[in-house]
Amino acid sequence: MKLLRYIRVSVMHRWLCTAFALLALWSAGPAAASDTLNIYSHRQQILIQPFLDAFTKETGIDTNVVYAAKGLAQRLQAEGAASPADVILTVDIARLAEYAALDLLAPVQSDLLTKNIPAHLRANDNRWFGLSERARILIASRDRVANGAILRLEDLAKPDWKGRICTRPGSHVYNRALMASLIAANGAEAAESWARAFVGNLARKPQGNDRAQAKAIFQGICDVAIMNSYYYGNMKFSDDAEQRAWADAVRLVFTNQQDRGNHVNISGGGVAKHSKNKEMAVRFLEFLTGEAAQQLYGKINFEYPVNPAVAPPAELASWGSFKRDTLPIERLAELAPQAQMMIDRVGW
Amino acid sequence: MVAAFLSQWRFASRQPIDKWSVATVLLCGFLLGPVAALLLAALGDSGGLWAHLVDTVLRTYVTNTLILMFGVGGVAIMFGVSAAWVISRYDFVGRNMFEWMLLLPAAIPAYIIAYCYTDFFEYAGPLQTVLRTSFGWQSPRDYWFPEIRSLGGAMLVMASVLYPYIYMVTRIAFRLTPASLFEIALVHNKSQFWHVGLPLARPAIVAGLALVMMEVVSDFGTVEYFAVQTITLGIFNVWLGMNNLAAAAQISSVGFVFILGLLGLELYARSRQQYVSTSRSQTPLPPLPTSRASTCACWIVCIVPLSFGFFIPLGVLLGFVLRSDVAANLRAIQPIIANSVTVAVVAALLIMVIAGFIVLTAAFRAGPKIRKLALMASTGYAFPGTILAIGVLVYASQIDAVLRAVSGGLVSSFLIASLGLLLLAYLVRFQAVGHGAMLSGVRRLPDNLMNASRVLGHGYVDSLRKVVLPLLKSSFLAGLMLVFVDIMKELPMTLLLRPFDFETLATYTYQFAKDEMLEQAALPALMIVLTGLVPVILMSSMLRRYR
Repeated sequence: MKLLRYIRVSVMHRWLCTAFALLALWSAGPAAASDTLNIYSHRQQILIQPFLDAFTKETGIDTNVVYAAKGLAQRLQAEGAASPADVILTVDIARLAEYAALDLLAPVQSDLLTKNIPAHLRANDNRWFGLSERARILIASRDRVANGAILRLEDLAKPDWKGRICTRPGSHVYNRALMASLIAANGAEAAESWARAFVGNLARKPQGNDRAQAKAIFQGICDVAIMNSYYYGNMKFSDDAEQRAWADAVRLVFTNQQDRGNHVNISGGGVAKHSKNKEMAVRFLEFLTGEAAQQLYGKINFEYPVNPAVAPPAELASWGSFKRDTLPIERLAELAPQAQMMIDRVGW
Repeated sequence: MVAAFLSQWRFASRQPIDKWSVATVLLCGFLLGPVAALLLAALGDSGGLWAHLVDTVLRTYVTNTLILMFGVGGVAIMFGVSAAWVISRYDFVGRNMFEWMLLLPAAIPAYIIAYCYTDFFEYAGPLQTVLRTSFGWQSPRDYWFPEIRSLGGAMLVMASVLYPYIYMVTRIAFRLTPASLFEIALVHNKSQFWHVGLPLARPAIVAGLALVMMEVVSDFGTVEYFAVQTITLGIFNVWLGMNNLAAAAQISSVGFVFILGLLGLELYARSRQQYVSTSRSQTPLPPLPTSRASTCACWIVCIVPLSFGFFIPLGVLLGFVLRSDVAANLRAIQPIIANSVTVAVVAALLIMVIAGFIVLTAAFRAGPKIRKLALMASTGYAFPGTILAIGVLVYASQIDAVLRAVSGGLVSSFLIASLGLLLLAYLVRFQAVGHGAMLSGVRRLPDNLMNASRVLGHGYVDSLRKVVLPLLKSSFLAGLMLVFVDIMKELPMTLLLRPFDFETLATYTYQFAKDEMLEQAALPALMIVLTGLVPVILMSSMLRRYR
C-alpha cells in the first residue's frame, strides 16, 4: 500500500514536471529571429536528420522541425505573419506548387542555387528549388520477364501484359505526377486511353505502397510494377531479410530511354514568406545543393543529385545511368488536377 | 404543431435568462468554431468539380462509406453488446478478467492494426504460409483466400478496435438497469435480453454506435491502406490531387450530413420513448451462475472480439519488437512517452469537465434547443482529422487575430504554434466521446431525481453535487478513459498541429509505419497499447467499486 502511494506520488511528481515544461514551451511560443532555423517538412524526420546534423556541424546553426505529410501549407497560411517557419521541405513538386500558389514562399536571389540546380528543376521566379531527383521506374520479375521485354511506359497498355501488372492506387501523388507526365508527352486523349488499357491490364486492385508492389512480384502475383527507384535501394539494404528477397526478385527498367527519358519528380524546398531568418534559410538551401548534401541524398535514401557537378554514389551509379525526362517540373503540378480527373474516370 | 412550437417559444422567451444555459450556449458555440470554419470553406467555389465527381467516383465513395458504416456498426454492436451482456448477466470463471480485458482493443490505433492484419493474413503471412505447407499449395493461383485489403477486411479490422465504445457504455447500462425490470421479464417468461436489457440499453448502444460510425466516416489510415474508396479518401484526392480545398470541404460536409442524419433519426426515435422509474429498489440483479456449457459460450463471446481486436495485433507487434534491440529503443522513446501521457491526461480531463458541464446543463436546465446544440457541438468527430485540423487552424488564427487586436499587439500568437492549438483540436474532436459517455450516464438517471432534490429545497448546484454527480462518477471515469486512450493514439491532428520537435507515441510510430518499417514502429505502437492498459486497469477497478 505504501509502495502504491509512493508510486502514485512519484508519478504525480513527474507529471507535474512535464506539465510545467510543456507550459514553458507554450509561453515560449513561436520563435522570433534567432539563431535557430525552423523547418516545416513533408519529408520524414528520420530522413532529414542526417542533413540537419551535417548542417549544424558545418555552420553551428541549430534546427527545429515539424514533420507532417499533409496540411502544412494550410498551417503556414493560417499562421500568417506570426509563423515561426523559415524553410519548407517537400517530397514532390505538387506540394511545392501548392505553397507557391498560396503565395507562402519568398523569392530567393542566390547565384549558388541557380548554378547548382538545372533550370527545369526550379521555379522561374526563384520561389522553390528541386533538391534531389526521384525517378519513377518500372520493376520487372527477373524470372518471368525477359530483359528488354518492356522498354517504354506506354508498353504497359499492350495486351501482352494483361493480368501481369501491379501498382499502388492512381490517386497517390507519385502516380498522379506520372499520369501528368504522360499527358505532357502524348496529349490528354492518348494519355487517357493509355490509362484505360493499363488499368485493364492490372493483376489486382491497386493497393499498398511501392514496396508492396515489389513484394507482389516476389510472390508471383504479378510480373511488372511501377515503383520509385529509391525503394529498390531501401529494400536491397534493408535489415529485414524478407525485403532483401523482394529486391532480389526484380530488375530495374528505366523507361523511354530511346525517346523522352524516364519520368522524374523532385524533393524540393523554399524559403517561407514570413521567415525572420531568410539569410539563414537560403544558406540552408544552398547547403542542401552542395557536394556533401547531394551525396547524402544518394547515400541515405538512394535519390539522385540535382547538382550536375555531383556524381551519384557508387551504389546508385551501379544501377546504370539513364536519360531523364527534362519536362519543366512545374508542368507536373499544373497538369495534376487533370491527371487526377483522368485517374477517377479510368478507376486507377 | 406550429401552435405548439409558438407557445413553447413564447414560454421560453418569458423565462429569465439562465446563466448556466448562456454559458453552455457560449461553450458550444466556441466548440463549433472549427466546424463552422470548414462549412464556410465549403461555400467556396469548387470550380465545377462536382459534375466530374458525380460522373465518376462519387457513387462509389458514398456506397462504400455507407456499407462500411453499417458493416462496422453491425459487427461492433454484435461484439460489444453480446460481451457486455454476458459480463453483466452471468457469473463465470474469468469474468472479472474479461471485464476489463474487453476494453483493451480501444488502445490499438486503427492504422497499426491495419498493418498488423495485413502482415498476418496476407499471402506471405503466417496464416497462409501454414495453410500452404499443410495442403501443399504452391502459388496464389492454387487456392482462394479472402483478401484482407478489401471492404470486408476493413469492416472486420475497424469493428475489432471500435467495439469497446459500445461495450463500455452498454455494460454500464446493463448494470444500472433495475433488477425489478428483469424480474418482470422473468415473471412473464420473456427474454431478459430482448425484452428488457436491450431496449433499456438502447440509448447507450446508440451513443456508442454514433461514435463508431463517426470514427468510420473520418478514418483515413485504414481505408487508404486497404484501398477502400470512401468519402474520406475522396476528400484527400480532391484536396491534394486537384488542389481544391473548397471542394474537399464540401465533400467533408457530405460525411457530416450523414452523421447529422443519423443523430437526428435517433433523436426522433427516442423522443417518443421515455420512462421514469419510480421503483424504490434500484439494485441490479445478481449475475446468474453458469453450467460448463454456458461458461464455454460466455468465453467464446468474450474471446472472439478480444482475439481480433487485441491478441492477434499484439502478437504481431510483439513478434517485431522481440526481433529488435528493445533496451536501446526504449531509452529513445522515454521522453516521447512522457509527452504523450501528459498531453492526453490534461486534454482528457479538460474534455470530460466541459462535456460534463454541457451535458448536465442541457439535461437539467435547458430546453430541447440547447440539447440539440449540445449534440451539434460534438460533431467535430465526424470530420477526418486532417480536415478538422485545418478548420481548427483557421479558427485559431481568427482567435489570435482578435486577441492581438484586443491586447494591442501585446499577445502576438496565443494558440498558433503552441500546444494550445493541439489542446483545442483534441477538445473539438473528442468532445463527442466525452459527451456520449456523460449523456448515456445522465439518461440512466431517473428524471425525478433532480426534481425531488429541488423540491426538497436544494439549489441546482447543491443537487448536482450531492445527488447527481456521485451517480455519474462511473460515466465520467468511463469517458475519461476512452478520451485518454483516443488521444494517446490520435495521429493526423497531432502530426499537423504540434509544436516544433514535439513527438508523441503516435507520430513517432507513424513515421516508421508509413514506410512499413514495422520493426521500428512496433515498440512505440506497443507502448501506446501498454500506456492505454494502465488507465483501463485503474478505472475498471474504480468502476467495480462504484458498482
